[in-house]
Amino acid sequence: MSSTPALELRGLTKNYGGKLTALTDVNLTIRPGEIFALLGPNGAGKTTLIGSVCGLVKKTSGKILVFGHDLDEDPVRPRYEVGLVPQEINFDPFFSVAESLYIQQGYYGQKRDEARVMEVLTALNLRNKADSLTRALSGGMKRRLLIAKALVHKPRLVFLDEPTAGVDVELRRDLWNYVRKLAAEGTTIVLTTHYLEEAEELADRVGVINEGKLLLVEEKKALLRRLGEKRLIVTFTAPLSTPLPESVLKAGATLSEDGRTVTYPEREGRAPGGDILRALYTEGLPVGDVETRHSRLEDILIDILRGKPAAAAGAA
Amino acid sequence: MNTIGMKSLLAKEVRRFMRVPGQTVLSPLISTSLYFLVFGYSLAGRVHEVEGVPYLQFIVPGLVFMGLANNAFLNSSSSLFITKIQGTVVDLLVAPLGPLELMAGFIGGAMVRGLMVGGLTWAVATLFTGFRLEHAPAALLFLLLSSYTFSVLGILAAVWAEKFEQINFFPTFVMLPLTFLGGIFYSVRELPSPWNHISLFNPMVYMVEGLRYGMLGQSGFSPLLGAGILVGVALLATGVAWAALRSGYKLKA
Repeated sequence: MSSTPALELRGLTKNYGGKLTALTDVNLTIRPGEIFALLGPNGAGKTTLIGSVCGLVKKTSGKILVFGHDLDEDPVRPRYEVGLVPQEINFDPFFSVAESLYIQQGYYGQKRDEARVMEVLTALNLRNKADSLTRALSGGMKRRLLIAKALVHKPRLVFLDEPTAGVDVELRRDLWNYVRKLAAEGTTIVLTTHYLEEAEELADRVGVINEGKLLLVEEKKALLRRLGEKRLIVTFTAPLSTPLPESVLKAGATLSEDGRTVTYPEREGRAPGGDILRALYTEGLPVGDVETRHSRLEDILIDILRGKPAAAAGAA
Repeated sequence: MNTIGMKSLLAKEVRRFMRVPGQTVLSPLISTSLYFLVFGYSLAGRVHEVEGVPYLQFIVPGLVFMGLANNAFLNSSSSLFITKIQGTVVDLLVAPLGPLELMAGFIGGAMVRGLMVGGLTWAVATLFTGFRLEHAPAALLFLLLSSYTFSVLGILAAVWAEKFEQINFFPTFVMLPLTFLGGIFYSVRELPSPWNHISLFNPMVYMVEGLRYGMLGQSGFSPLLGAGILVGVALLATGVAWAALRSGYKLKA
């Protein structure tokens, strides 16, 4: 696989009328074939970033290179390689599902390829709707049609801006499998989503953006390892009337106000949770239930957005 | 140049208006034909000839022009404006379609509709007045120039407009008065002063008179002068539309 980045942003900045700065000096490199999740709250700049690459937003300054081609030098040619699933559902009510895809193929300089259209429709469970007018589709189907339109010309770089909003759970899983398949075939995917489970499931790397600034870019697994934690939660059958054993307190465990629950965040360099549990049993405390919880990307994202120092350490 | 992309957009534009032919072709054909019947027959009894031409024949070029111009304008303006409102403009902006491909697609589709309505209006008129085509190349030139110019103006209106009220502004407040004052139903040269002079600033006059020369063989103006003025107007409109699409004016954030 080529080592040329699928996308390079250098100092990308976007001001709206000199007042609102939607993107500030964003530097980002997307590797070919990876699934990159761009995360952040509403209004963080995710859609502006994608729009700048896809020709929907006029950047204020900075460079955008798609597979090494500078959009300032040729804003049109690199777009043959790009597909976009926009956040807002749109459809042309005059045409059927299949016709919409044939038109899309044409826009990308491709001749009508029925086999490809049917392949994409099958993958997105829309094959039986090929001849239906787009206005007759349900919301979830319209969303899938957007995905089909973005993929029908076989782009090498695909932007999925909230692709599964309003899509049911089963279909979301199907879409995830399809995205994985595309990535396995070499397609580069840039994903924004509000479902952090989606990013956790799919992404190779994660970027966090807030108020137009890219706060962090890191491998998802490394991020979860570095900032995530496993928590041991022990619930007693009755509230404790005595303090926790000294060894348990020193290890970093805390007792809830009602005296019923002990929480112990297990981190590198600390005693394993088993030692804590053993100490509680040894003291004869009334252990009723034991549970472990792994922190998720969602917890980590919240920490990053709140500016926790440990989170900031990984900033790009 | 993305030739397939351009052809694809053009074919889509034609298919779009052909999906609703009653609204896009038949309805304007009927309304223009009604102008012919009502104005033509009611005035023909009093005005037998204008500049030596029977009145019913005299108004045919203007009515053909009116159907052609209105429909060329409406097609490009409504199609592009609706893509903005529906959000499908994203498909066009993301795709590798530069300003020239976009213009060619929208202008081509609009010209087809304009020429179709104009041609059908002419065919209907022929049933009443008989067929006259004195200078075919000139008629073709003015049909093409007029439909092209109004297609481009439709693009400009669609790019500029943000509300439905705005998209209706140009046909209602600019096109309609200029068309009616453009010598469709009368000879501009026979107007009293200063209106005959003021009318010379109305580009519609040259379109109508040019078509009249092509179809009836006579005109109050030199067809070459008219063609020159129209080419100038067309080039100016094309330049502005190209610059607007290239810069993404009111299309890109």
